[in-house]
Amino acid sequence: MADSTKIRLNFRKNLGSFTLAVDCTLKKKVSAFLGVSGSGKSTLLNCVSGTLAPDEGEIAFGDETLYESTSKINLPPEKRRFGYVFQEGYLFPHLTVAQNIRYGQPNPRTFSAAIDVLEISELLQRYPKELSGGQRQRVAIARAIAMEPRMLLMDEPLAALDSALKDRIIPYLHHVKDAFEIPILYVTHAFSEAMALADEAFLIADGVIIANGEPHQLLTAPSAMPIAQLTGVENILFLPVTLSDKALGLTSLKIGNQNLVIPYTEVEVGEIVPIAIRAEDIVISLEPNLPISARNILRGTIQYLDVRSERTWLSILVEWHHLAVKITHEARDQMQLRQNLEVYCVIKASAISRLWD
Amino acid sequence: MRITPAEVAALYLSIKVALLSVVMMFPVGLLVGWLLAKRTFPGKAFLNTLVMCPLVLPPIVSGYLLLILLGKHGLIGGFIYQTFGIEIVFSQIAVVIAVSIISFPLLVRGIVTGMESVPLELENAARTLGASPIKVFFTITLPLAYRGVIGGTILGFSKSLGEFGATIMVAGNIPGKTQTMALAIFSAVHLGEDASVYRLVFISTIVAFVALWLTERFTLR
Repeated sequence: MADSTKIRLNFRKNLGSFTLAVDCTLKKKVSAFLGVSGSGKSTLLNCVSGTLAPDEGEIAFGDETLYESTSKINLPPEKRRFGYVFQEGYLFPHLTVAQNIRYGQPNPRTFSAAIDVLEISELLQRYPKELSGGQRQRVAIARAIAMEPRMLLMDEPLAALDSALKDRIIPYLHHVKDAFEIPILYVTHAFSEAMALADEAFLIADGVIIANGEPHQLLTAPSAMPIAQLTGVENILFLPVTLSDKALGLTSLKIGNQNLVIPYTEVEVGEIVPIAIRAEDIVISLEPNLPISARNILRGTIQYLDVRSERTWLSILVEWHHLAVKITHEARDQMQLRQNLEVYCVIKASAISRLWD
Repeated sequence: MRITPAEVAALYLSIKVALLSVVMMFPVGLLVGWLLAKRTFPGKAFLNTLVMCPLVLPPIVSGYLLLILLGKHGLIGGFIYQTFGIEIVFSQIAVVIAVSIISFPLLVRGIVTGMESVPLELENAARTLGASPIKVFFTITLPLAYRGVIGGTILGFSKSLGEFGATIMVAGNIPGKTQTMALAIFSAVHLGEDASVYRLVFISTIVAFVALWLTERFTLR
């Protein structure tokens, strides 16, 4: 999409004791809103779709005002033409797959394009209750894109699926992103999905945006502690591949002058791979040569220690990457860990997961 | 055991009145049911109470109130008498009105139950797909609420068939004119015509049973 339609969101919505207050402009093709459940993500999408009216503020799509509180503009959802994919799919149970997709009155060309991209031509005569979870979500996506929406809103479209199924649906979302020239607003609590699809990401907590930027920037910034809490993964690294051996079942990545081994993944040498490591999966050692089975022992320096109620958090500089590590207070005391001490980070290969990119 | 012409007339009137009442009240019931199930507005509780009142009031009381309203000197009856010269009370129109008021809560209850079972999210999904609220109503809400709607309709119809108290108050018990099945049974019992009572009770039971059985067939799976 040629530098896309700007979407302006500046509004406030009270729901009981909860308040959503956002002020942002979406400029990229795929924008992700990332936050835990209850952070206000779905409320945000409902306000954008027009199914929920904000209390005050403004929502604009390019030059067109969709909502404006002072002049009492509130375009109804059927006039906004925003495709909406819900977490639960919400297919119409009394209509077949084909009838569901035709509900938005697509022209024959977009109807078949949607069916092709989502590969659901076999399912057209079935009823929603005869579909598996993954099929249902594909149909829901097809229904939303077939109507030729001006924008696609996706509310946790993968959350109801198990992880194997997620991995199978994500490529379809990539197809949608490539095949249809429309902006996508993607809401999720799963940081890997945001990484997989988004060009820009907004972190949302308790109804406010706490950070925004390119997803990997946002998620690798050392200042991004709230992100760790939101996503449950503290360490995100982008590393180049030096070796990938299917027979050995290993892929080797370069981190500065050191190596990091992860379980085999299908990549080319030289390709940059995003990976995730949880802070509690890293063991700290004072010795480099340990008789242990873990494949990765990375040399680094303690940048700072952060003593919190239950655990001590370490920020360790490995080459130029910061690793967050979570250890017990006891371990810290026994090992006499302090700032600028050289330590070794021990990480099992299987504790490192590859992220989608 | 031969059914008499008077009994046929009563049966015929009952069915005619019940059908008329259902046909007339069905669109009103849809509107009121939709308002109560899907909308919030000031006075909603009041509307609900008003609609449901005949369900808890003794029918004879509802009938008496109707008599006051529809009588020649009543608020509505007076107006109609002066403008059109028509007297409603003790006519077949009065039977239809009485029966409609009494069966309306059952009709609405069924429709509300059916419509409340349709998730708002499905209706919102339809809106985002470009459907106007009216299209959503006819293509999503109504088809998905059909069990409640059919159930309420048949229940309302059955109630209309057997209505007694309100009918006798506003329409009297005029054989061949306003005497429905229930009223005919009442008269036959009074006059000690046992054979007639048995026949009418038998027919009433069959009709009610068939109506309920149809409801179950349509609404259960």
